[in-house]
Amino acid sequence: MLSAIDLHHTYAPGATPVLRGVNVAIAQGDFACIMGRSGSGKSTLLYALSTLLRPTSGQVLYQGRDVFGLSERQRNALRGSDLAMIFQMHHLLPALSALENVLTPFLARLRPVGAKAVARGMECLSRVGLADKARRLPGNLSGGEQQRVAIARALACSPKALFADEPTGSLDSGTGDKIMDLLLELNAEGLTVVMVTHQPDYAALANRVITIADGRVAQAS
Amino acid sequence: MNLATIPLRNLRRKLPRTLLSAAVFSLGIASVVALAHLSKVVGDSLERKMTAFGANVLVTPRTQSLSVGYGGLSLGDVSFDMRYLPVAETVAAVRAIPMKDTISVVAPKFALLTRVGGVPVGVVGVDFPSERGIKRYWQPRGDFPAGDDGVLAGSAAAAALSLDLGDAVTIEGRTFRVAGVLAPTGSEDDRVIFADIAAVQRLAGKENMAHFVEVAALCAGCPIDEITAQIQAALPEASITAMQHVVKQRMAAISFVKHLALSVSLVIMLTACAMIGLSVFSSVNERKNEIGVLRAVGFSKAGVFSLFCLEAVLTGMVAAVVGYVGGVLAAGIVPDILETGATSAMAFDLGEFLLTFAAVTALSAAAAAPPSLAAARLDPAAALVTL
Repeated sequence: MLSAIDLHHTYAPGATPVLRGVNVAIAQGDFACIMGRSGSGKSTLLYALSTLLRPTSGQVLYQGRDVFGLSERQRNALRGSDLAMIFQMHHLLPALSALENVLTPFLARLRPVGAKAVARGMECLSRVGLADKARRLPGNLSGGEQQRVAIARALACSPKALFADEPTGSLDSGTGDKIMDLLLELNAEGLTVVMVTHQPDYAALANRVITIADGRVAQAS
Repeated sequence: MNLATIPLRNLRRKLPRTLLSAAVFSLGIASVVALAHLSKVVGDSLERKMTAFGANVLVTPRTQSLSVGYGGLSLGDVSFDMRYLPVAETVAAVRAIPMKDTISVVAPKFALLTRVGGVPVGVVGVDFPSERGIKRYWQPRGDFPAGDDGVLAGSAAAAALSLDLGDAVTIEGRTFRVAGVLAPTGSEDDRVIFADIAAVQRLAGKENMAHFVEVAALCAGCPIDEITAQIQAALPEASITAMQHVVKQRMAAISFVKHLALSVSLVIMLTACAMIGLSVFSSVNERKNEIGVLRAVGFSKAGVFSLFCLEAVLTGMVAAVVGYVGGVLAAGIVPDILETGATSAMAFDLGEFLLTFAAVTALSAAAAAPPSLAAARLDPAAALVTL
C-alpha cells in the first residue's frame, strides 16, 4: 500500500542528513510503529510517508504511484481523502467548536460544508465518544478529549491510512492508553495506522515495528 | 459552515485586536472621506473668494485695435476710432450661455478721458454692485456711490485733483460728489475716477455702450476655454479673451489644496494598509501550527492564502462602512471646527459609498496579500516542526 524507497533527506544544504537511504513498506491494515531516539529521523520519515515533506531524494509510493511525482493539487487531495494525520499536540483550531474542527477537511475543498458532511462529522465524534461535546470549544475540553477530536477530524474524510506523530506523548498514561485503544480499534476496522512513538508498551501492540537510528532503518519486523 | 467561518471565528476570538484594527482602519477611511469632501468644499470656497479678486474673461469689441492699458484698454486712445459693446445685450448674452451657472459677475465698463480742473484724468463708468463683486479688495474711505451723482476716486487721482470726501467735482460740465476715496490698490484703479456707468455714458453721448465687459466665472476644474467658447458663440461680434494667468493662479491655489488633501489621504491609507499588513503578518507568525495542520488536512496554498486574506478583507469591509459613515459625519462638523467659512453638508451618496467599499476591500486584500502569501508558501512540514 505504502512504501518508501531509498529516502534521503537533509533539512538544509550542508546539514547532517536526517534520512540516509530508508526503505520501508507498509501493507494495508498494518499497525506500524516507528521507534527511535530523538533526532533519529522517525518523524521526518512519517512526514515524508504522509506526503507533507518532500524528501531530498528517493520515492514514496502510495498504491503504486510516486506521490511526489503528483501535482501539488493531487497531493492536497490525497491528504484530504486517503491520508490523515494526528500530532502529539492535538492542534485543533481554537476558535472553532469540536464539530467545526472535525469538519475542516471538508472546507479544504473551498466549498460550503453540506448537511451530509455535518452528519459525517457527528458520526466521527460519536465514534470517539464525544457527540455530546460537539459544540464545545477546544479550550473547554480535556487533553484526552482534544486528542479524540483530532482523531475524529482525521477520520472525517474516511482515510485509508492514519499517520500519528506521538499521539500519546502529551497525555497521562491513563488517557494515553485510551487513545491507543481507540487507534487499535480503528486499525481492527481496517484503517492502516503508522505511528511514531517512544513507548515500547504501545509498540508491542503493533504488528510492525520499524526502528530508525541515525537516519537508517536499524530494525524492522 | 463555509470558508468565511474560520476567519470570522478567529476575528471574534481575538476581539480586542480585531476591534482595534477595525477602529484604526475606520479612522483612516473616515479621515480620507472627510478630507476629500473638505478639500472640495474648501477648494470651491477658495475659488469663490478668489473670484472676488478679479475677472478671468474679458469681452471687447472685435475690431478694437487699441493697445492694452486699463483692464485691457488704453485710456489714452479710447476716444479715437472706438467701437462699443451694447451693455444690456452683452450682459444678457453672457448670462444666457449654457454654463451660465458658472458666471458669477458681469461688469461692463465705459471709459472717458477728460480734464478736471485742467488736469487730464480717466473717468471709468462702472456698475458699482457688479464692480464690488469682482473687487472685494477695494477699501474706500467713505462709501460707494449710491446714486448716479456720486464718484469714487482712486487714491492717486484724488491726490492729484485734491479731492476729499464730500467734495464736488465737475466732469464734462456735470457736478458729482466724491462719495469715497479708494485706499491705494497698487493698480490702475488708483489713477482714475469711478462713476456710475449710465452717467458716464450720458456724458459721452453713448448710452447703453461699453468699451469692454469683465466677466468673473467660477470654474472649479476650470473649463475656462469652454466658457470662453460659449461666450464667443453668444457674442460673435465681440472678442473674448480668457485671462489665463488669472485662471492659472486660481487653479494653482485650488490644486494645492486638493493635492495636499490627496497626499495626506495617501499617507493615511498607506499607514492603515501597513497596519493591516503587519497585523496579518503577526497573525501568520502566531498561527504557523494552524497553517501546518490546515495543509495536513488537505488545504491547498490558495486555501490558506484565502483564509488569511479573508480576515483582512472582512476587517476592511467593516472599516469601510464605519469609516464612510464617520467620514460623512465628520465632513459636516470639521469645516465649522476649523472655521473655514465653507458650508458643507455632505450627504450619504450610495455610489460614493460603494466606491469606497470596493476600494477599501481591494486595499485590504492588497495589504494582506504579502503576509497571506507567506502563509501559503509556508512549508507544512516546517510549520509542523514548530509544533
